[in-house]
Amino acid sequence: MPPRNQPADLTPLSPAVFHILLSLGEGERHGYALRREIAQRTGGKLKLGPGVLYGSIHKMLEWELIEESDERPDPHLDDERRRYYRITPYGRKVAQAEAARMRDLVQLAAAKFGVPKHA
Amino acid sequence: MPEDPRSVRLYRRFLKLYPAGFREHYAAAMERAFRDELRESHGALLWLSLFADLAISLPAQFAREFAQDARHTFRLWAARPWHTTFAILALAIGIGANTGIFSVVNALLLRSLPFRNPERLASLDLFFAPHDTASRFHDWRTHSSYLADAALWEGLDANLGTAGEWRRVRVVQTSWNFFQLLGTQPVLGRAFAPDEEVAGTGWGPAGFESGWLNRRPNAIAVISNGLWQGLYGGDPKALGAIIRIDGNPLTIVGVAPQGFDYPDRAAVWKPAAYSGGNNGWTTIARLKPGISWAQARTPFLAEADRFWPGVRRTSAQISTITPLRDALAGPTKSASLVLMACVLLVLLIACTNVANLLMARTADRAAELSIRSALGASRARISQQLLTECVLLSMAAALAGLAVAFATNSFAAKLQPAPLATQNYSILDTRVLSFAIAVSLASGLLFGLLPSFYAGRVHIFGTRGSSGTRGSRLVREALAAAQVMLTIVLLTASLAVGHAFVRLMKIDRGFDRTGVITATVSLQGTTIQTEAGRMIYFQEALARIRRLPGVRSASTTQFLPLDAKGFIGGRFRLDGRPASTNSSDIPVMADYFRTMGGRIVAGREFNDADMQSNTPVAIVNDIFAREFGQPADLLGRELTEGNTGRKIAGVVRGMDYMTGGANSSQVFTLSRSPGWPGSTFVVKVAGRAEDHLAIVRDTIRSVDPQVPVFGVKTMDQRMAENFARPQFYKTAVTCFAAFALLLAIIGIYGIVSYTVARRTHEMGVRMALGATPENLRAVLLREGLLPIAAGAIPGIALAVLSGRLLESLVEGAKSVEPTAYAGSVLFIAAIAAAGIWIATRPIARLDITEILRTD
Repeated sequence: MPPRNQPADLTPLSPAVFHILLSLGEGERHGYALRREIAQRTGGKLKLGPGVLYGSIHKMLEWELIEESDERPDPHLDDERRRYYRITPYGRKVAQAEAARMRDLVQLAAAKFGVPKHA
Repeated sequence: MPEDPRSVRLYRRFLKLYPAGFREHYAAAMERAFRDELRESHGALLWLSLFADLAISLPAQFAREFAQDARHTFRLWAARPWHTTFAILALAIGIGANTGIFSVVNALLLRSLPFRNPERLASLDLFFAPHDTASRFHDWRTHSSYLADAALWEGLDANLGTAGEWRRVRVVQTSWNFFQLLGTQPVLGRAFAPDEEVAGTGWGPAGFESGWLNRRPNAIAVISNGLWQGLYGGDPKALGAIIRIDGNPLTIVGVAPQGFDYPDRAAVWKPAAYSGGNNGWTTIARLKPGISWAQARTPFLAEADRFWPGVRRTSAQISTITPLRDALAGPTKSASLVLMACVLLVLLIACTNVANLLMARTADRAAELSIRSALGASRARISQQLLTECVLLSMAAALAGLAVAFATNSFAAKLQPAPLATQNYSILDTRVLSFAIAVSLASGLLFGLLPSFYAGRVHIFGTRGSSGTRGSRLVREALAAAQVMLTIVLLTASLAVGHAFVRLMKIDRGFDRTGVITATVSLQGTTIQTEAGRMIYFQEALARIRRLPGVRSASTTQFLPLDAKGFIGGRFRLDGRPASTNSSDIPVMADYFRTMGGRIVAGREFNDADMQSNTPVAIVNDIFAREFGQPADLLGRELTEGNTGRKIAGVVRGMDYMTGGANSSQVFTLSRSPGWPGSTFVVKVAGRAEDHLAIVRDTIRSVDPQVPVFGVKTMDQRMAENFARPQFYKTAVTCFAAFALLLAIIGIYGIVSYTVARRTHEMGVRMALGATPENLRAVLLREGLLPIAAGAIPGIALAVLSGRLLESLVEGAKSVEPTAYAGSVLFIAAIAAAGIWIATRPIARLDITEILRTD
């Protein structure tokens, strides 16, 4: 396994990756739940198709931002067994690094242009 | 909403597009996600978003897995550098040679000519359109039933410039509608007008006079773009300027577009001067709309017979109407196609060889592959990995092959130059590059398919020593047999072509080229204008040359053997009795035959006394003499042509002037007017002819520095130039055959040494049971020679079938002796046997106790 990158080296994260991390920050999720939650959070603006969703998951597993937990049924949907994912401690650090990067960016923008109450 | 099974099935198909590794992990989850989505939405919007999803994620996943496989491949390559280098080299030569030869085929046969509707342009060969007057010609072309238009042209090399600053250029006189017919308009100025054509002697060597050039309004010219740039720096003021062709002024009225140099890389075009006696015209035409080539042939042949009646038509002397592009390609057309076939064979051999190599490697990698398979890699994933290895291999080979392609290309351009500038061979052409990519990919699939198919099975059987080995060995032996088969085809082809070439070089051409230097001068447009003045110039030049150290003899001739472009001559009579065929008339000066190594059969050579005296003499060749008796019988008899009578002083063996070879009737006469339009000095020297080139040239220049001297070459160089094309074909085919042989031997060697390594244990047991190493090696030798026996029969059959095609490469190369087939098979077998014997050497060194102890 190649040496792990510093958390900041992975930033900026793609919106899909960051949103997946955000969702997993709240607890374990399976793929479809992630997709639904992200769509809700972004008001339908970010709808991850299966290819992009699992492509991102594949990449995040490889980067060790997330890991698979066991497979179990989703109590809300049906009794089909689904694969669940959870965030790793390293994943948390990367998410923090990304948030810090965004905060700096927002501060810079606010100083330049000011920030309106409603976008 | 209920689930639509058709949608799910369709989505499953799309999932198959993902690379194997990703598919294995996520296909099930993705299908589930799709079904979840189906519950929420459906219809066009759903599919639209799915397509967008595919378009984003497919390339990304492919790039990921390809990068993974590529890293793995590079590690494997680094572990076996020799194997890899060999495979890449073999394929590079195969792909490169194919690309190089294809660039020639593309330029000559596929790229369209830079004219308007070029596919309707025709070349009318051995066809004499009415050309005695302008009106007769234009009458014919405007009333043709099958041609929309036709034009005449005739070319010649001439001196362009003023005294001291000459250059040789191709000058073409054309009927006024020449540019209009081709659909090419000058980029500056204009083309010719009907009233700019004149009546007058043509400019064949016979009636060559400066008259037509001065006859206004005929004294105008269109010049090539290159000449315009070179002489006038692209200045539009060039229009109206005067250039001198052989000293005669022509006013520039137009500049041809960039790259236009039809015909014969012409640099200057001028309007035609018509005369009945000039048969040097070439006719080009455009077919009438709606007339097919087949339809045009009948009226064309009828006209050809009408305009040139009573001629004996042989297969070599048949009038033809062909597309202009084919006519330009001429004999190189079929030759290029045959070469293309040869390089495809080479590529096939290289592919089988690499397939063979990869098969062995895959078998060796059985352990690695089964471990990967045990770790969860599917058959598809492993096949994908192997396929990536192949694609990478062929990509590396294609890159290396580009170097081979450029080399082949420049070699071909040197030895078989394209007839027009726009037909220059180029690799950097969309069609050629696409061909190269297609060939590399196709070969990658070809040599990758077997190993990858085989690998798909190997890991199922588990580890080494599995039953898969046997099948793979059969496949490998079949591949080796196929290689031997293709190699035999190439080897016999190279034998046939090589023999024919040697024969071509050994043909008695009636002269001896060793130590002969040639240099041409043209007195056209110089200050030396009278016949007497020209004679004085040549006498003086010859006297100075003969005084040079190392010069044995020197003379001049109007036409050089092998180099005749136009001929004069006619029906000679001996003592009033006409000869049955026309003879060429070749004006020479004293000592010509001594210098050229001609063989006097009877009588004597021209001497200085002949030059001084006023008694005209002639020397005839043996072909002419044959009709009238023994050579000696002809001496002293009267030879007449027109009103000129000459005494026959000698009979000589004919020389090869490339018009009917040495077997045409020739009459040599004393030159009374040398240098008009040009004469060539021939000088015989002692020692290396190359060493004397400069001094001979300078000596001729010293007589009159204003006289242009060109074509300073040894006769050997001229010979080589003349046979450059067959030489190129011979060299190419020989190289291909040698390369094929090498690959075949390496292939067989590889199989045997692999077998030896695999069966070490079995050999040890056999030796323990009493077999000697020699016994075992003999068994392996027999087994190793099996593919050769299997490949020999179809190989010979194919070689016999392809024999006739070789004729287009080198004259007379159609077939080889049956012994040559047997010889090439034996040759391959012998080399292979040696290779096998070396490969089985380890058996002699086997330590039985060591082997048995491991049991």
